[in-house]
Order: sequence, then structure tokens, then C-alpha cells
Amino acid sequence: MAEKGAEEAAAAVDVAVPEGASIASGDNTVWTDVSLLLEAACEDLRDGELIHGDNFNLFAAMSALEIMDPKMDSGMVCKYYSVDEAIENGAAPVPISFYKTVDVQCTIDIMDYLLACEATWHKGHSLAQTVFSCIYLLRPDRTSSHALLHSYCRVIRATCKAVISVVSDARTHEEEDLFTMAYGLPLDGDGDEKCLSLLNAVEETISRQLRACKAHSSKRRVLEDIEPLQENVDLEEGYCKALLCRLRFRKHFYHVLTSMRRPQGRGLELARKHIATCISELECIRKSAEFLRSIACGACDDDTEDRTTASGCQPIGFDASLNCRLSAPTPPRTIKILSWKMAIDYFVKLLHDLDIICSYTLDPLLEGVLHFVVQFQKSQPDLVARAHLQLLLVQDGKLYGRDSMFAVITRAAALPEVTKNHDIQNNEYIGQLGQLVINKLKVLCTNSAWQRRKLGKMLQDWRVIYVQLELAFRKDFGDVLSSPDDENVCMKIFQHILLWVEEQTYWIASRFLILGFELELYSPSEYCMVYWYMYVVLIKLAEKTHLKMAARNDTNKRKGKKKRDSLKDVAREYRIPPAVLFVQCQICLVEGLTMMLAALRNENMILQSPNPFNTEQERFFQHFELLQKACVPDHISYPAFDESTTYARISTLVMYNYFKDAQRIAKEVKSSFTNDPDKLAELRRIEQVAEHNSIALNVICQVGALDPKLKVSFEFSHHPYFATAVVKRS
Amino acid sequence: MDMEQEAEKSMVQAESSDGSNLNSSDLVTRVRNLLYRRMLVGIKDGRFFLGTFHCIDKQGNIILQDTVEYRSTRRSSPSPMEQRCLGLILIPSSCRSSCHVDCSIEEQLSLLKV
Repeated sequence: MAEKGAEEAAAAVDVAVPEGASIASGDNTVWTDVSLLLEAACEDLRDGELIHGDNFNLFAAMSALEIMDPKMDSGMVCKYYSVDEAIENGAAPVPISFYKTVDVQCTIDIMDYLLACEATWHKGHSLAQTVFSCIYLLRPDRTSSHALLHSYCRVIRATCKAVISVVSDARTHEEEDLFTMAYGLPLDGDGDEKCLSLLNAVEETISRQLRACKAHSSKRRVLEDIEPLQENVDLEEGYCKALLCRLRFRKHFYHVLTSMRRPQGRGLELARKHIATCISELECIRKSAEFLRSIACGACDDDTEDRTTASGCQPIGFDASLNCRLSAPTPPRTIKILSWKMAIDYFVKLLHDLDIICSYTLDPLLEGVLHFVVQFQKSQPDLVARAHLQLLLVQDGKLYGRDSMFAVITRAAALPEVTKNHDIQNNEYIGQLGQLVINKLKVLCTNSAWQRRKLGKMLQDWRVIYVQLELAFRKDFGDVLSSPDDENVCMKIFQHILLWVEEQTYWIASRFLILGFELELYSPSEYCMVYWYMYVVLIKLAEKTHLKMAARNDTNKRKGKKKRDSLKDVAREYRIPPAVLFVQCQICLVEGLTMMLAALRNENMILQSPNPFNTEQERFFQHFELLQKACVPDHISYPAFDESTTYARISTLVMYNYFKDAQRIAKEVKSSFTNDPDKLAELRRIEQVAEHNSIALNVICQVGALDPKLKVSFEFSHHPYFATAVVKRS
Repeated sequence: MDMEQEAEKSMVQAESSDGSNLNSSDLVTRVRNLLYRRMLVGIKDGRFFLGTFHCIDKQGNIILQDTVEYRSTRRSSPSPMEQRCLGLILIPSSCRSSCHVDCSIEEQLSLLKV
């Protein structure tokens, strides 16, 4: 019996592994079928028993890739075994159709679908599953006989390459690492670098065809004998126009990308022109949908919102599953491609964001740069725009590739003129400080979640550099410092830099806290502690800014004295600078909010949902761990918060109304910012929040005592992170 | 993590101490001798996996280490093979269609006896 089985099995070896022949066994060895042996052995095993060696590790084994599991096995055979097989089966014919009208129609569908794919890619999916699901793109040479399709495929590949280079150079993509994954994809088609010349030639031909058909329809004499784009005379104009705007958009978009990459922001002005053209071409593309849809009517699905092409027809030549295997990291799950409409909306937004970057004046002052980046981030720009901004800001370790970091710090910290040639710039820690500034700029260009995490961690670096600088200065200039001569340059540099480092640290801390609101990380019961922490951080920020400005004025005054026209300056000196007042009115607002929330809690007028998982102190530590670790600010702990809020009462709050202070300062300081619309708008918002809360406070005080059912809740209706109280009778 | 490792260790120990080594059948011993050998497993969609035999359970699910996947590029055979590295994989018995071990010709006959 056993013998017979062995014979059968031996025979099966030859039959079962015909392809196995190409998978070589070792020298002098053969492939032997062990299926029967395994089967028999398994029967002898007891439940749960395994056959394994000494190096077996159950937990490691659990991470094994499960074959034929649709979520893990990207190699499962789908419709086609390979790109070549797909092509042989006619999945991507060239030409798409021998009827030119159909061919043009299908080409437009391919163009539209590629646009949707590109937007989907930008939004965070892999290139292999989006743009390169197009079989025509995967075989660059196949399309060469089809000038229209060929030119479009080439510019798409070149554009993808340019975008990947921007994002990977900026390294803002850590959390979006699928983006730059292009392994195994033909991003470098032969001659793709000359994509524009072919694109121009095709554009020229089609615009002639358009002219010819217009002349024909107006019965004018045809100047040149031109073969029309396709057979149907009635549709000629519409098709020519639809193609032209698509080709022109690609051309100008490619120009935008290349001119924005020119060093030191030299191409920004040119880029703006191309951006404007791109946006108007996108509008033409949008309008062409009506024409394309009217022709395709009936041949396609009716779901207008979900359609991925202008006509609504499914494009020819796409198969996302083909690439699953080509690039191992591609998760085999299917993704949803954005609709065509959403893709156009995406590109319009992207172009607007890029336009904001291009219209930036390359402010040499770091303060201005930080303000611009924060302002830019408010519109929640996507990865590609953020990467461009970062590359503009930091090039070759310099601001805009132009100003050395030492020069930037010198200006920002208002160091005296002599510093520029001082050997302090060779100090090791000053070099490190420059690196920290670069990191800060880069991190500010990342998405909010990533940015917040990185900012929190960065605080420690800023604290450490502060201590290191202090020690280094003491060591290097210790002797000079002990001399009472306050004209001493070293002393001045020393003070200014340290002050400035502290100011930057508190700026980062306040941004860290604010981003928590944007990311909705705080629950209403935690607002009180968050505003309290903001309060202590802002106090420090205002203090450091004030000292810095006073020091700057001090230097100016000295200069003025020499010029003997300092009377006005002296008068101005005793006023608090507007920048400090600006922080001051935020301080009043957060203090008011802290106390109001604490008083409401203390008087049980706000719904407190007891948290079953952790205490308030634990949550305090969870939220502010990174700040606490970096001692930002010093001596701040939960007991300090507890102490300052336990005795808050509505009645005392009404007597001393912080919101009124905020309103008053905001009103006063407005006149100082008439040239700064962003700051003015912010002040106006602060004023509104303060006013509403001030009124709410009075209402609570008067009605609250009589009506125990009064409900108070908080909304962000006037400001993204300063809450407005809403009082309701239940 | 430490706890997990410990738990696992004790599990593996328990398994070997309750006698799987002592009174396992002749067949099981023979399969155990195949561990660390090169194994070629074919599955129903036509792919082959070549790797080091790492583990098998009662249900016949096999784990291979340092595996390379082979697949034909066309539906019609014969056709050129494409390959890629996969590392540690689990092949469920339900999709397994063939299973071969690399061995000397002398050993082949003994392996075929069941």
C-alpha cells in the first residue's frame, strides 16, 4: 500500500511542478513531494500542537504574512497576471479606437481620470494605486504613435517626478510616507524631460484645427488645409476646446512647479503668472463638462457627484490591481479615487495656496516669517503646498537660501551692529541655535498633528540650548562681565540672545497649546486648565517680548543720543509697545476664561461629567507633560493651578471683570495695527469674545442665583480657540 | 513585552514538557527532521513559495521563513516567472496545492513512504 502511494507521489512530482523545474533544487538534490507525509503527520498531532524548531517564536510567527488573505496578500492574482498580459488582452489599446471621434472622446476621459488620480495621490494615497494605475503610463514607449496621449502621459510623469522631488526634499512627509514611494514605477520615461516641446507641438496642431473649424463654420475661406481632429464636424470645436484647456493646464502647472523651485525665490513672480493661467484653464475644463456630458449621455452612469471624468464615462486603460505586486509596500486594499469635481476643487485650492506663497515678500525678519507661516497654515494647505513653502523658507541652511541663520538671529534678537563681525558667530552653541531655528521653521510647515508633537518635543531643545549658551557665555566672557562697564558689547550680546531664546521658547509653547484646540484634543472639562496654562505661558511671553523691546530701544536711544534728536524717542520709550499690549489683551482674555470656568465649576453651574478613568491631576500631566518636562515655565505644576482656581467665585469675578480689561486694551491697541489687517482682525475677534463673555458673566451673576437650572456652555463661534459662553435657561 | 515573552516561553516549555518530544509518532519525528530545509509550496492561484520550513500545525497550515514568491506573468503556461521577497509567511492549508522539499535522491524514497 505504502509502496503504491509512494509511486503515485513520485509520479505526481513531475506533473505538479512543471514550472517548478525553473525553480532549481540544490546540487544533487531533487524536489520531493511531502504532501502525503505532512498530511499523515498532522493527523498524529494533538490539538494545538505544533511542529517547530528551537528558534520558533509564537509572537513573531503571528506577524507572518497570510497568503490569500485579501488584506495582507498583495500578490493574489487579480484580473491579469501582469501589465503585459493586460495589454495583450486589449486593456489599453493604441490607438484607443480607429474611429477618431471615439478616440478623442476616450483620450479626454483618460486625461480627466488622471487628474482625479493625481488629486487622490496628493491627498495621501500611493502613486502606484492612483496615477500609475494607468497602463499607458506604465509603458512609456507604447504611446509614441499617439501624439496626443503620448504628450499628456509624458507631462504627467514629469509632473509626478517634480512633485515627488519637492516633497522628498522638504521631508515634510514623514507621516505621509506613502506619498514619495515610487519604487518600480517608470517615472523616468525616455525623453520625459522634453515633455513641454511635444506638448507645445500638440497644442499648436489642435489650436490650428480649432481655427480651421471656426473658419469653416463661418463659411470663410480655409487658409490652410488641415486634417480635422476627428470625423464629426459638429463636435470638432467642442472637442478642440476641451483638449486645449486640458493640455494648457498641464503645461502651466508644470511651469508653476519648476519656477517655484528656482533658488532664492527668484521664480515666484513668474510662477504667479502661470498660477493665474492654470486657474483660468481649470475653469475652462470645468465648463467643458457640459459639452462632454451631452455627447456621452446614456453611455455612462448618472451619478453626477461621484463620477471621475467630465463625461461620466469609465476611462479605458486603468487597473489599480496590476501594481499591487510591483511595489511591495502598496497595501492591497482598494481605494476610492476622488471625483472629478473634487479633483478640480483640490487643484484650485492648491493653486491658491501656492499663490499665497508666491506673493510673499520674503520678509527678512524672523518674526514676520513666523507670522506668515502661522497665517498660511490657517487655511489648512495640503502637503504639496506646505512642502513648497518649506523649501522656499529654508534653502541650503539659509533663510530663503539668502540670509545666514546667524544674520537672522542677529536681526531677530536685536543685537547691536558690531555683532555681525564678532567672533561669537563661530561659537558652537550659536551654530546649534541656528539649527534650532531651521528646525522650527520646517516643523511649522508640517500638518497640525505632526507639528504639535514636534513643537512639544522641540521645547526641551530650546531649554537646553538656553542653559548651554548661558554657561558658555559665562565661561568665555566671565571676566569681562564682572567689570561694571555696561557699555560692554559682550554683555549686551549675551543678554539679548538669552532673552530672545526665552521669547522663542514661550512662543513655541503657546503655539503648542493653541494647536490643541485646532486638533480638538481638549474636552470642555479641561478648558479651565488649558486656559490657565496659556495664561502662565503668555505672561512669560509678554514679559520676554517687553524686555527684548526695551533692550532694543535702549540701543536705539544710545544711537539717537549721538544724533542728538532723541526727544521723541524718550517720550515713546515709557509706553508699552503695541506688540506687548497685543499679548496683554490675550492674557486678560485667557485669565477671564480660566476664572469664569473655575467659578462655574466651583458653584456647580456647569455640567461636570466625572471622568471614570483618571483624575484632573493626571489629565493635567498628560496634556502638559512636554511643557512640564522642559520646565516651561519654571515652577509651574498642578498644585499651582489648583490653588489659583479653587477660590474663584462669580460674585468676585463680576467685581473685577477681566473681559472688560481685554476689551479696553484691544480698543486701545487697534490704532497701532492699522497697517496689519491680520492683527486687526484678530483684535476684533478678541473684542467680540470678551464682550460676549462679559455680558454672559453679568447674566449668570444676576439670574444664576435665582434660577438654579441655568445652563452654561462654551462655543467657538467668534474665535477658533477662545471660547464664548452661551447661557440658556433649561 | 517582557511579560508576553515570558508567557510565550512558558507556553512553549509546557508544550515540550508535556511530552510532544517524548512520545510523538514516527511520522511527526520525520516531519520534524524536515525543519530548516528548503520547501517549495504551490497554491491554487498558480503561485509558488520557496522558503525555509519553519512550522506546521495540526490543521496543516505552514509557516515559511525568508520566502520568495514565484509567479508566472501570463495565464497561459509556460511563461516567464516573476519573483519577489516576502519574508515570513503563513500558507493556510486550504489554499495549498502542492508541497515539496529539497532533498537528496537517496532520501527521496524514504520521504515518500507514508
